[in-house]
Amino acid sequence: MSADESGLKELRSSVREFLEAKSSEEAVRKLLESEPRFDPDVWAQAADQLRLPALAIPEEYGGDGFGPVELGVVLEEMGRALFCAPFFATVVLAVQALLATGDREACARHLPGIAAGRTTATLAVAEETGSWDPALISARAIPDGDGGWRISGHKSFVIDGTTADLILVVARTVAGPTFFAVDRTAPGVAAEAMRTLDATRAMARLTFDAVPATVLGAEGAGGRIMADVLDIASVGLAAEQSGGARRCLEMSAEYARTRYQFGRPIGSFQAVKHKCADMLVQVELAEAASREAALLAAEGSAAFPVASAVAHASCSKAYMFAAMESIQVHGGIGFTWEHPAHLYFRRAKSSQLLFGGPAVYHERLLDRLGI
Amino acid sequence: MESDDMRDFAAEARRFLDAHAAKAADRAAVTWGEGDDSMAYFSSLPPEEEAEQVRRARAWQRTRHENGFGWITGPPEYGGRGLTPVHDLLYDSIESEYDVPDTGVLGVVGLGMIGPTILAHAQPALRERWLPAMYRGDAIACQLFSEPGAGSDLAAVATRAVREGDDWVLNGQKVWTSVAQHSQIGLALTRTDPDAPKHRGITAFLVPMDAPGVEVRPLRQMTGGADFNEVFLTDVRIPDDHRLGEVDGGWTVALTTLMNERNTVGSEGAGPVAAALSPDHLSALMRATWTWDDRALRGRLAELLVDAMATGYLNDRAQRTLRAGIAPGPERSVAKLMYGQNLTRAAHFVSECLGPRIIADTGRWGMYSWSELLLATPALRILGGTEEIMKNILAERVLGLPKEARA
Repeated sequence: MSADESGLKELRSSVREFLEAKSSEEAVRKLLESEPRFDPDVWAQAADQLRLPALAIPEEYGGDGFGPVELGVVLEEMGRALFCAPFFATVVLAVQALLATGDREACARHLPGIAAGRTTATLAVAEETGSWDPALISARAIPDGDGGWRISGHKSFVIDGTTADLILVVARTVAGPTFFAVDRTAPGVAAEAMRTLDATRAMARLTFDAVPATVLGAEGAGGRIMADVLDIASVGLAAEQSGGARRCLEMSAEYARTRYQFGRPIGSFQAVKHKCADMLVQVELAEAASREAALLAAEGSAAFPVASAVAHASCSKAYMFAAMESIQVHGGIGFTWEHPAHLYFRRAKSSQLLFGGPAVYHERLLDRLGI
Repeated sequence: MESDDMRDFAAEARRFLDAHAAKAADRAAVTWGEGDDSMAYFSSLPPEEEAEQVRRARAWQRTRHENGFGWITGPPEYGGRGLTPVHDLLYDSIESEYDVPDTGVLGVVGLGMIGPTILAHAQPALRERWLPAMYRGDAIACQLFSEPGAGSDLAAVATRAVREGDDWVLNGQKVWTSVAQHSQIGLALTRTDPDAPKHRGITAFLVPMDAPGVEVRPLRQMTGGADFNEVFLTDVRIPDDHRLGEVDGGWTVALTTLMNERNTVGSEGAGPVAAALSPDHLSALMRATWTWDDRALRGRLAELLVDAMATGYLNDRAQRTLRAGIAPGPERSVAKLMYGQNLTRAAHFVSECLGPRIIADTGRWGMYSWSELLLATPALRILGGTEEIMKNILAERVLGLPKEARA
């Protein structure tokens, strides 16, 4: 199923309206210091009123069956508003990972609860180094003798790791990296919140001590599944990044139009004007790359993996640039705690490095291009 | 998404092109070591080949004209089709899928910029004399705007026009004039009132390029080629009916031309330089230069490709909105800016792979030929509006920032 242009516009405006009401700067700032890092009431409203968690889940699993394009629109809006919610971990990471495993039984078990907003979920891949490369994973899973598995090891940088009900874990077996489902109430799971550069996105360090787990998809298929997950999750992240970058640009242009110095609006000085134009160029490119990648994903195009890698790199660069230059345009107030610019700066840097950073995604692009 | 009208028009364009041209091959696909390795951005053909190219351009324009695609937006009384700019852009995008003669010599300046200006500002006799001829491919036009002292600050033109009876007498020097050597007419900006504020003392004239006193001299660029000219005007006598717009009202005329310039310059990407941004070509080059696993170069290659491909996606999306009948937004200005920057970065990236092999010719295929692109790249960031001017436009028109204080 897919929405046409006017449907997308409608989706965007209803999500924006909701976020303006529920995720104001004041609301975001309050959540920065709270545990959990989101407002359960607002999350329940997002599920009940807008059916956001159901958006991209196939209809056979209780979702609304929309695709990456609609998901992208929602993520752009969430990125603009720095919405604190378990959406990214649940809908972008865990749901996409479940679907990528091709495990219909697991999908049928977990997705309806997620679609209804009852279950939140996350994906635990990275360990001490933060790498998402499944070859670098040391958490291990061994058969428990009754057809089940037990996982032991540590995971770090797990988004919403202290609150997610369902944890998808990538662990090593004799057959290679494998995806597992773990219930957060299972015996042997311990979660400890990490201090984060971007306080709008909670992360945790998880310890697994012989935790019972269910295998997802084929044992040893973790490498291939992880590649698919990264392709689709990168496009989700890119949409969020391009929304944040667009917001930084808008704030800067607005300020440059209205702030007077030396008797003139600062936007009339070419140095400031060109800074804003450079931001616009980056934002336009990033938005095109992210939206085009989502469209190619929806079409099932063979060009999608390349487009995904371009989107991730382009949006990471644009967001970081826009967040930095926005502080520069704002001058002194731009680097105060009270101004929102640092919240975007933190999100931009954290998103740029979430899946490994430039050195990693540049090689991923070259790999997808066969170079 | 496409409207019926657009669909019908596109189908008609395809029928015409299928009947008169072949589908274009993928220009970026290159087999290493085979074929022409030219990386020239500007043409620097021997005179007889250049004359042949001009002849083919005129012939193709005539074919277009006879089939209703010569002047898609023009009024029917001058041989136009009376359709919208969106139809025009749609035709261009369809034609780019075919192998047709390059009509840049007629199109970029003459049909794209000067034709619409003549239509908007010339006296009736002048319109009837020149518009049908231009769009039929018979007359080539050039733009006599820039001067040694008036580049980005175009209103600083100093070429004088002094009234003598029913005539005007022009004296001065123009520069950066593309295709002047092939042109029958030129649109000149002149100073008619030196005492008025500089935007108010300018008058525009159509100058027949064969008038006595018009001298065209090729201007050799850093590439070695001569794509531009200097034009010297010495006591050139022009009748008053060749004036466009009001006396001292030439700035309005210039603005019409400049507005149309923005619609014509940009979104390129064909021709031999397509290889400069092709992942396959660049990786083949890295293999041939044994720089294949240089980590720093690989990182730079990825950064370059990210921007080049994102620019491609921006163009793809602009094309799609276009086909739906919606005129594109700031995408074209952004794409133009990025196109110059991407090619510049590609040329420098490749020169690092090549090392000394771009400073002297070893005779090997696909190596020293990159010097042609390298030497063209500085011009790409200047012509058709410098990067700085393009950024002003984006900031003022798209972001609504205040205009800069101008004298």
